[in-house]
Amino acid sequence: MTSDTKSRTVLPQGVGKFSAKWLMFTAAMVAVLVIGILAYLYEANQGMIVTGMANTGTQGGVTWGLYVVMVEYFIGVSLAGIVLAAFAYVFNVKVLRPISRLAVLLTVGSLMVGVLAVLIDLGKPIRGIINMLLYVRPQSPFFGTFMLVAVGVLLTSLLYLYLDGRRDAAYLAEFDSSLRWYHRLWAAGYSDTQAERERHRRTMFWLSILVVPLVVIALSTEGLVFGIQVGRPGWFGSLQGPDFLVLAAASGLANLIVLTAIVRRVLHDDYVLIGRSVFKWLGGLLLAATAVALYFQVVELFTLLYATPGNERLLADALLRGPYAWIFWLGLVLLGLGLVLLVLQAARREWSVGLLVVASVAISTSAVAERYLTVIPSQTHGMLLPYEPGSYFPTWVEFAVVGGLFALGALLIGLFIKVFPIVPLNGADSDKEVLVDA
Amino acid sequence: MTKYAMAVDLDRCQGCRGCMTACKVENNTVEGNFWMYVFRFESGTYPDTEMSFLPRPCQHCDNAPCVKVCPVGSRFKREDGLVLTDADRCIGCRYCELACPYGVNYFNWQKPDDAQYPIVDWQDDSLDPVTGGVIPPYKNPDLDQLWGDEQRRTAGGGHAKGIMEKCTFCVQRVEKGLDPACVETCPTDALVFGDIDDSDSPVSEYLRENRTWQLLDEAGTKPSVYYIGGRPPSREVTEIERPKATV
Repeated sequence: MTSDTKSRTVLPQGVGKFSAKWLMFTAAMVAVLVIGILAYLYEANQGMIVTGMANTGTQGGVTWGLYVVMVEYFIGVSLAGIVLAAFAYVFNVKVLRPISRLAVLLTVGSLMVGVLAVLIDLGKPIRGIINMLLYVRPQSPFFGTFMLVAVGVLLTSLLYLYLDGRRDAAYLAEFDSSLRWYHRLWAAGYSDTQAERERHRRTMFWLSILVVPLVVIALSTEGLVFGIQVGRPGWFGSLQGPDFLVLAAASGLANLIVLTAIVRRVLHDDYVLIGRSVFKWLGGLLLAATAVALYFQVVELFTLLYATPGNERLLADALLRGPYAWIFWLGLVLLGLGLVLLVLQAARREWSVGLLVVASVAISTSAVAERYLTVIPSQTHGMLLPYEPGSYFPTWVEFAVVGGLFALGALLIGLFIKVFPIVPLNGADSDKEVLVDA
Repeated sequence: MTKYAMAVDLDRCQGCRGCMTACKVENNTVEGNFWMYVFRFESGTYPDTEMSFLPRPCQHCDNAPCVKVCPVGSRFKREDGLVLTDADRCIGCRYCELACPYGVNYFNWQKPDDAQYPIVDWQDDSLDPVTGGVIPPYKNPDLDQLWGDEQRRTAGGGHAKGIMEKCTFCVQRVEKGLDPACVETCPTDALVFGDIDDSDSPVSEYLRENRTWQLLDEAGTKPSVYYIGGRPPSREVTEIERPKATV
């Protein structure tokens, strides 16, 4: 790190510069968040009766609704970021280095929002936090959601983000800016000596290797929550865990592509920081993940069409031509559309950022649809006793709360970009000093 | 050892749903929550139709899926076979409801006192001579006690907003040596309750003398409720007369 003690005041990458556009974005997100908070307070006061949920069976409702759908979606989105960053670190993939921090940030942000959604879905959220610490049972798949995901993966990702940023923080702390206290706090005594660098490199290396199995195990439990339930048609099966991961990878990469495109635009002064080759990588990876996700869906579709025993048939009818048909087919078409767009670009060996974003949005939307179809229909049409089929439609409260969750995620990422350089300053090679001065 | 079980004689059940009412009175459950539920089925095509009934209490499974998935051990199985919910520990994640193939769990979506049946305006002064100033819902004082060796708040319903509740086999009555409210009230003695570890108990005798079957045997839940007569429900039957309730 440079020992240049000239008083520098302008931080790189627009850090500390709160532009009018950024303020407008933030104000809009805060407004959506406030609506979400008010809706939740209304729900907390009245009870979950204000949601569209009701008991399964005699009440003909669903007991897990839109909130759990979004838990599955958000936690799924978190998979790709940290794994991609770890991969880039271990194999020293320099092309991906500029977006590694953004990738980990996406993991941290979506996990925070996902875990918050879990708490929002509890009938007794505060008792939930306390009792999960006092009485936790690892035998329940919920252990995976609470302990492995909320505590394990989230804290590991935060640690990753922190350690990876210390060198940059130490550099920024030399600037005479209003954020100096924050960068000093982050650097926390790090002064970039050779020994410190080596220690960080080793720690990051092993952390990168260890985080991958942790994430895979923890996130698989999100699928197992459904997969190990023998008493509900549509859920029981060994594919639920892998299926969750595959779609998680696709939706996570899709979100990362959209974020990268936005950040690249915002950092227009430093356009060179995120090269076009990043999109080639992300596009290729998304293509692979989407192809596997589509394969999984087609395999499931064939099983449904060909051999549907007993109660599964009722569920299959509801999915293929019943009340859920439009979601089912829309999801499949969007996934196919995303794949086609990616294949065309791959075949032409030319990746357009615009087309990639379109494909990503299609795939991400399809992931929400798929999560919805995992959680909801097995409750309304999956009762083994001959109850009448139920129905579910979320109320405005649920939509407002979910909107608030998205806004919170956007705020977290938007705020981070303004207090810390989103593209690592030391570039691809941590031993070289590729510092970017503004 | 004591091991409680219930026998349901479908040849005796006439579908009067008296057990459902008795359960609600005993356990203070809110509107729309039926811990004991009696299906009224119709099968066949006119004029060859047939009506049948199927009472569905909690099956108090020996291999209870709800107990397995509870993240905090609020849902638990006692040594005497009862599967109960600790109202003070439940966090309201509702996983038990999804794990249960029978649909016996009922979540309190709102404050129980606000969800009782609005039959009459109990605040009406003209009702005073009848109610003597006591404003319903009547609360069974036994339900707030702690029960069993575990001393946990497991009896009855209507405890709090945001927690799960279900049939307890009337633990508060069973511990006093009484039958569950549904069994007590059944006018045709279609429900028989007792200790199956005691070979002289009425339920043991009943199970010994009759062919029995269990609900959703294939789910491997090992229920403590045995059915006699009738036949397991299939998708060939349609449910008629769902109870009317606003939820």
